[in-house]
Amino acid sequence: MTMARSLAAWLGRRALAALVTLLVASILIYGSLRLVPGDPVLAVTGGRRLTPDQIAALRAGYGLDRGLVQGYLEWLGGVLRLDLGTSLTYQSGVTTLLTGRLGVSGLLVAYSAVLAIAFGLAVALVSAVKGGLVDRAASIVAALTTATPTFVAAIGLLALFAVGLGWFPATGAGTGLAGRLWHLTLPAVAMAIAAFGVLARVGNAAFAGELGREHVEVARSRGVSGGAIIRRHVVRNALAPLLTIAGLLVASLFVGTAVVETAFGVDGVGSLLVSSVSRRDFPVVQGIALVAVALFVLVNTLVDLALPFIDPRVTVGGLSR
Amino acid sequence: MLMDKETTARPDERDVLGISRLGLAVGSGERATPLLAGVTVRVGRGETVGLVGESGSGKSLTARTALGMLPPGARATGRVTVSGVDVLAAGRRTLRDLRRTRVSMIFQDPRASINPVRRIGDYLTEGLRARGVPARAAAGQALDLLDRVGIRDPRAAVRRYPHQFSGGMLQRVVIAGALSTEPELLLADEPTTALDVTTQAEVVGLLRNLQRDHGTGMLFVTHDLDLAAAVCDRVYVMYAGRIVEEAPGASLFAAPAHPYTKALLEASPSVHGDKAAIKAIAGRPRSLAESPSGCSFRDRCPLAGDDCAERVPAHRPHGASATACLRPEQVMP
Repeated sequence: MTMARSLAAWLGRRALAALVTLLVASILIYGSLRLVPGDPVLAVTGGRRLTPDQIAALRAGYGLDRGLVQGYLEWLGGVLRLDLGTSLTYQSGVTTLLTGRLGVSGLLVAYSAVLAIAFGLAVALVSAVKGGLVDRAASIVAALTTATPTFVAAIGLLALFAVGLGWFPATGAGTGLAGRLWHLTLPAVAMAIAAFGVLARVGNAAFAGELGREHVEVARSRGVSGGAIIRRHVVRNALAPLLTIAGLLVASLFVGTAVVETAFGVDGVGSLLVSSVSRRDFPVVQGIALVAVALFVLVNTLVDLALPFIDPRVTVGGLSR
Repeated sequence: MLMDKETTARPDERDVLGISRLGLAVGSGERATPLLAGVTVRVGRGETVGLVGESGSGKSLTARTALGMLPPGARATGRVTVSGVDVLAAGRRTLRDLRRTRVSMIFQDPRASINPVRRIGDYLTEGLRARGVPARAAAGQALDLLDRVGIRDPRAAVRRYPHQFSGGMLQRVVIAGALSTEPELLLADEPTTALDVTTQAEVVGLLRNLQRDHGTGMLFVTHDLDLAAAVCDRVYVMYAGRIVEEAPGASLFAAPAHPYTKALLEASPSVHGDKAAIKAIAGRPRSLAESPSGCSFRDRCPLAGDDCAERVPAHRPHGASATACLRPEQVMP
C-alpha cells in the first residue's frame, strides 16, 4: 500500500518535472525563432511587390503583429489544444503536417536504433571479452564511425549501394512495410553509423569494467560456465548504464533525421524541418522543435522508470523495489 | 640440490592440496618477472593451514593456483595437485569440474564477491546449479545453508539483495556459498580483513566449526600472524614469493625460527604480556623480482652476514620449524 502510494508520488513528481522542462523549452523555442532576423512574410510572398496594407493583413493573419508575450501565450494555448498553428507555406495545420510524416520518421528512427544498438553492443561485448587485437580493431572502427558525419555516411552509402551496386533505391520512402524497410535501409544505416560507434565504445568500457569485477572472478572460481558468466554477471550488470545512453542516442536520432531524410529524399519530419527553416516557416520549425524536446523528455522518463527494475540499488521514491 | 630439500612437506597422495616447488613468472626470456619461486605447501584432509605474509608476498597468488587461476600471461613450473588432480596440467573442463566439486574459495571483500544486482538466493544456488543440481533442490539447499551459517529467516534472506546486508552477514553468505558444493579444500583469502574485529571472531569461529563438521581442509591466507597462529594447525610464512618458515601454529609464537617471522611478531601489537613498543620492520616489503640475491630478506635482516648472499638458503629443521635461515639459533623469541 505504502509502496504503491510512494510509486504514485514519484510518478507525479517525474511528470511535473517533465512538464516544467517542456514549458521552459517552449519559451526558448518560441522566443529564439521570433528573434531570428529575416521577415517570414517576405519569404512567403517570394519577392512579389505588396502594398503596405497587404503586408499588414498578412502579418495579422499569421499572428506576427502581436508582441512576444502575447504571441507566445496564444501559441501555447494552441499547443495545449494540440494545435501547433498554421504553416506559412503549406497553408495547412502544422499538426496535420507533422502527424502525416511522423510515421515514416518514426519507422526510420526505430529501424536505425535497432541497427545501432544490436551491432554496437555486439561489437562491444565481443571486443571486451576477446581483448587483444580484436579489441584494438574494434576501438579503431568505433573511433572512425563516431567521427563520420551523417551526411558523409549518407553520400558514401548512396554512391556505393544505390548508384554503384544498385541494391537499394536512392530516394523515396516506398509503400507497404517491406517496401518501406527496403527504401529506409540506407537512410537508417547512415543514421545508425555514428550511434553505433558511440555504443561500441561506451559498451566496451561498460562490459570490460564488469568483466574485471571481483564477483566475475568469484563466479569463475566456482566453475560457472563462460556463457553464464557473461549473461548473468557482465551483460546483466552493464545494462543500467547502457540503457541510459541508448535512450539519449535514440532521442538524438530523431534530430538526425533532418540530414538523412534530405539526402535520401524521404518526405518525413526531418526533411520538413530543413525546408521549413529555409522558407522561414517558423510555426512548423517551432512545432518540430517542441516535438523533439517532448521526445527527449519522454525517453528520459521511461529510462528513469526502468532503472529501478534493472538495478535494485536504485530506489523509487525513497523505497527500494 | 640442497636448496630445495623438503623437510616436513613431503607430497602425499591423500593431501587435499599439494603444492610442490611452484614457480610463477610473467613475461618470457630476459624480461620475465618472477613472482613465486620454490613454493611448497601442503594441506592434509581436515587440516587448517595458514599462509602468512605482507601484502605482495605472493600468498594470494599461491592460493589461486590451487584453482588454476593464474595471472594473465603467467607461466607456472612445479606441481600443484588438489585431491590428486594435477591442476597445472588440467584442461578447461577438468578445471571447471574441480572448481564445481572439490575446491571453493572465499575472497577478502564479501561486498565485491556477490553480484550487487542479483539476489542472495541466486548467489547461493549458482555453484549448485553449475554442477547440475535442479533449480528447486538448489533453492531448498540454499535455505539450509543460510540456516547453518546463522542467518535468521532464510526464506526472506534469499529474496533480498546484497546491499540490504551488513558486511559480516554477507561474509556468512559467502561462506555458505563456498560450502554449498561440499568441497574438500577451502581457500580462505583474508576472509576477515574487511570486517569489524567483533565480526572477525564470529566468522573465524563459524569457519572452524563448519570445517570440523565436514572434514574440509583449509588454506587460511592472512597477513595477521596472531590470527593464523591461533587458528591454524600449521603455518607457512611467506616473504617475497618464497616460503621462509613452516611451523606448527602453537610454536610460532614461542620459538620463531626465521628473523622475518620474529620481525612480524614484533610488528604486531599484543594485548598479552608486556607493553613493548611495536617495532616496524626496517625497509619496505620486496617482491621476488626486486629482492637481493641469496636470502631475499637479508637487506632488512639484523642477522645477515656475507654468506647470506651466496645462495637461497635451504629449508632445514630447527626446533619444531623448518626454516630457510642460515642462523636460526640466533633468532631469539
